[in-house]
Amino acid sequence: MSDLALGIASFPVLLFLIFLRVPIGLAMFVTGLIGMVVVVGDTSVAFGRLRHESFSTFSNYSLSIIPMFLLMGHFATLGGMSKALFNAAESWLGHRKGGVAMASIGACAGFGAICGSSLATAATMSKVAMPEMKRLGYAGGFSTATLAAGGTLGILIPPSVVLVIYAILTEQNIAKLFLAALIPGIMAALGYMLVIALYVRLYPQSAGLRPRRTYAERLRAMGKVWPVLSLFLVVVGGIYIGWFTPTEAASIGAFGTGLVAYFSGGLTRKTFASSFYATGQSTAMIFFILLGAGIYNGFLALTQVPQEIGIWVGSQGFSPFVVLLFIICFYLILGCFMDSLSMILLTVPIFWPIVMTLDFTFVTLAELHAHRAAEALAAGIQLAPEMLESIQASLASGAELTREQIRALELRGVSKGALARLNTEQLAIWFGILVLIVVEVGLITPPVGMNLFILNQMDKKTPMQETYKAVLFFVASDITRVALILAFPAITLGLLAW
Amino acid sequence: MGKLALGFRVINPPMIGFVTQISRLTSLIGGFMLATLISLTCFSVAGRVLNSFLHSELVQNIAPDLASFLIEAGIGPIMGDYELLEAGMAGVIFAFMPLCQLQAGHAIVAIFTDKMPATFQSVLMFIIEIIFALTLILVAWQLGNGLGDKYRSHETTALLELPIWYGYAAALIMAYVAGFVAICRVYYEGIALLSGQPNRLSKEQEQA
Repeated sequence: MSDLALGIASFPVLLFLIFLRVPIGLAMFVTGLIGMVVVVGDTSVAFGRLRHESFSTFSNYSLSIIPMFLLMGHFATLGGMSKALFNAAESWLGHRKGGVAMASIGACAGFGAICGSSLATAATMSKVAMPEMKRLGYAGGFSTATLAAGGTLGILIPPSVVLVIYAILTEQNIAKLFLAALIPGIMAALGYMLVIALYVRLYPQSAGLRPRRTYAERLRAMGKVWPVLSLFLVVVGGIYIGWFTPTEAASIGAFGTGLVAYFSGGLTRKTFASSFYATGQSTAMIFFILLGAGIYNGFLALTQVPQEIGIWVGSQGFSPFVVLLFIICFYLILGCFMDSLSMILLTVPIFWPIVMTLDFTFVTLAELHAHRAAEALAAGIQLAPEMLESIQASLASGAELTREQIRALELRGVSKGALARLNTEQLAIWFGILVLIVVEVGLITPPVGMNLFILNQMDKKTPMQETYKAVLFFVASDITRVALILAFPAITLGLLAW
Repeated sequence: MGKLALGFRVINPPMIGFVTQISRLTSLIGGFMLATLISLTCFSVAGRVLNSFLHSELVQNIAPDLASFLIEAGIGPIMGDYELLEAGMAGVIFAFMPLCQLQAGHAIVAIFTDKMPATFQSVLMFIIEIIFALTLILVAWQLGNGLGDKYRSHETTALLELPIWYGYAAALIMAYVAGFVAICRVYYEGIALLSGQPNRLSKEQEQA
């Protein structure tokens, strides 16, 4: 068996192991290790790699963000931030039809701005919002589906643990990825609210009403949100402005939320210890998958599989969008069974080299002008001699046409705003956000949506079937958003250019 | 404490109290190390911000003596904060491993095996725990070899000139604790497998 065949064969073996309940990190580790031993013929390379792989993965400066953000999320809950956010959103929206559900989405978005994990966001917000929805007679499946979908905002809205890992896998700038995720994240929150508005019109029995709150009450509730707001501004704003590195920002965020939790009385010796246990558990799980993925990807690199697949796909002459669509469908299917982080670690090292070879050329305005100008010259347009000369010179040198030249040529019907060709960095960011959204859809798609399970635990009276039914509306909103971002990369890249 | 959920059953295996306590202890150590590293990074950033503030024209014009006094007194970023974070982080992560191992906190895909017979699942989990324990011991063993490399090469960090092997040593201790807990889990799964009739938990017990 050639190395290449071995590398390709390893993928179904790995999936088989994972579906046999082998922990995902362990499955990748063992497959990669055995693969390396087979390719090389002895254990020297595999064991030699292991000598420093675990230490260098675990001590990676950028990855140290992960435990910090996880701890920050726990402290934020202890500091009553989830409750403050929900109360503020609820006071403004609660009297509308379906308003408490919309408020839950808003609060999830707010909590997502200081928490990098979807599961934590779903669990935290449902503790706060579920009782209120119950009290007002919201239908069970509708409430659980709302909160499960709202939970995905934890990862969509920066900071986001999954984006950090994606950034490291594709060697991109974390700050830029966070910024690119901002508009899609806000779109997600608004999209979910729209779904709720439609849902309560389709099923009017599914939501109850309550009287309006006075503006004084609303403002008072808003006033309690300042710690969340200031932490978000310092952490995400500070990263973007370049005051500090993402890791430093995460430290400040964790420290700040810790202080807030302490002064609000939520941080006792017991809750302090339990937040360490919970942070530790998630951290260990994530880093073990990271270690396994490192070993597996090391093996794949030995067999050259990612490059070969990239070359093969490139040589088939598929349309780039077809390839991308195929990848997205693959994620949607895999997401029904696997968690987002494992999926990213397993697939991005294979898919990214493929995507990188694709040429997503959007015609630029300058190129369009040049093309039209050449056509006009060929058709024998009448121009002043010096203008004709200057245009010919510009076309020959490939320089952009000036406004005077365009006016002289009477080029019309070329509107501004055509997209530039995506360079590798833009492509990585665009692809990253797309992947982020589709893997998050996996959290709320039956049968294995982690967020659905969490909500099922929180509200045992609602049968899973009802949640499944209601959550499909939110999935539809997610898929619409993926289609929009696919068609208009500017949604993610716009803020970066600005 | 004292009870451990293993697949379907709750059993009360030997030494579970000790194993639980040692796992929690390492988690707490890891947590406090993490908190220390977070605080260190924050103080370093605060120092850096203050330092550039003291160097700013405004302060230099108003109170140059005070500014230079404070800068002399050492207000500025903590030297080597980046290195300390990197050196300590591996120990933190390894310290979190034992509890995750004990509570079977690793990410799995259970949907396809859930429908299989209970005995099959018990055997499967026993085998998986053996592989897991072997893997963690291999990781610890090779980390020890890595430590040896760094110890012999006298490699140090760039600014503080701390020997790199310090970080390896902290990580190694925790890696062996994780290996120990993994072996205990093999033992526990073995007991669960041999203890006869599977005893499916009710929903409430799963919660606890």
